Amino acid sequence: MSSEPIIVSQGVGKAFQLYAHQNDQLKQILFGLWKQFYKEKWVLNDVCFTVSKGERVGLIGRNGAGKTTLLQILCGITRPTRGAFSVKGRIAPILALGSGFDGLLTGRENARIGAAILGLSRRDVDACIEDIAAFADIGPSFEQPMRTYSSGMLARVAFAICAHAKADILIVDEALSVGDEAFQKKCETFIANFAKAGTILMVSHDLDFLRALCDRVIWLDNGVVRLSGEPATVLDAYRAAMAES
Amino acid sequence: MMLTYTVVFSVTVPQLAAGKSVTQYASGIFIGLIVFNLFSELAYRAPMLLHEHVNFVKKSIFPSETIAWTATIRAFTYGGIAFLVFLAFQLVTGGGLHWSLLFTPFLVAPFALLILGVVWFFMALGAFTRDVAHIMASIVPILMFATPVFYSLDQLPPHIAFWLRLNLIGDYIEMFRAITLDGRLPNLFGYALVVVISYAVFWFGYQFFMRYKSVIVDVI
Repeated sequence: MSSEPIIVSQGVGKAFQLYAHQNDQLKQILFGLWKQFYKEKWVLNDVCFTVSKGERVGLIGRNGAGKTTLLQILCGITRPTRGAFSVKGRIAPILALGSGFDGLLTGRENARIGAAILGLSRRDVDACIEDIAAFADIGPSFEQPMRTYSSGMLARVAFAICAHAKADILIVDEALSVGDEAFQKKCETFIANFAKAGTILMVSHDLDFLRALCDRVIWLDNGVVRLSGEPATVLDAYRAAMAES
Repeated sequence: MMLTYTVVFSVTVPQLAAGKSVTQYASGIFIGLIVFNLFSELAYRAPMLLHEHVNFVKKSIFPSETIAWTATIRAFTYGGIAFLVFLAFQLVTGGGLHWSLLFTPFLVAPFALLILGVVWFFMALGAFTRDVAHIMASIVPILMFATPVFYSLDQLPPHIAFWLRLNLIGDYIEMFRAITLDGRLPNLFGYALVVVISYAVFWFGYQFFMRYKSVIVDVI
């Protein structure tokens, strides 16, 4: 395993603007130079860590600890308020189940659109669409409109797309927990294989899942990295802290 | 609202009947409606566009400014279909097709830029406050009567026409009528001016959207 840093986060901080009224957002834009209409809420504060190539890193923390926000920043979806980060390589994010899926289109059509959004060319999509269908393994439902899908089926298609996106980095946000046993097994195998060539950063509340799959776990608490290291050490400490509160 | 009704129906409508055949009049309105409907559809939709695609914006790595492109292309496709219907109508009723129709792309291009700029602007604005959508719902009908859809600008007294000339949609309708119905090219000075202003709107709308793009992710 090489130790080339793929993801570097240096003191990343993110403040959300909290508004008392919806229209204060507009007022802030128009009159923001003269008066501040919001209160700042720092969800991330000085987050520092490095992920090396080929690492499988788990991210844990209680609800609202800033896990999703951190992933959004790393994906380049939202900008950090301060600090700097760098990501080398192409990212395939699974930040939410069925994000960007259109309920009226079939699974196949959505898979094509989803793969295109991840940056695959039409030819690449044509080449791997059957693999996606096979990986999702939802049978004839793949040709049905997506509004008829269960959340587990959505997760299968969403994960299947990202699995074939030829990305260097996979970022997964609690998306796998709704799949059934068989599919979870499949994902675990895939993740284990993926790490041979790529890097994985995943959020999960399934601690055993992380223990089995990760090389390292980062515990995010109140917007800072509280602990980072061996899965066993960090997960035990996390579990102990959860039991206390 | 009362004011627009008063002006439109007292000044313009009585003059309509004079000197025009029914088909000519219908064609004129049809061209006006194609252009204006294109604008109004997007004016209604633009403030809600980002809300409709919130998953793209927040949950995937996606250039959200392209949402304006797709919405605009969609609207222009509908407009294009309506325009084909118009051409068929012209042939059937014996109105004939003028050589000046070849100028159509040169009108559509700046018009698309104008529309894109407007969509970007309202898309960004609508992300911050949903009220924009409600405001549009009351502005667009007024704008419809302040636009020469059911009449033409030269029927108006000069002092009113001057103000309506400021409405770019109206200028486009007049130019489209010129090339489709009258078989003449638009006044080139006026055309150049409209192109420049359209491009300015396009540029401003794009800058406005890109400037607030990163903020929008957090507020939507």
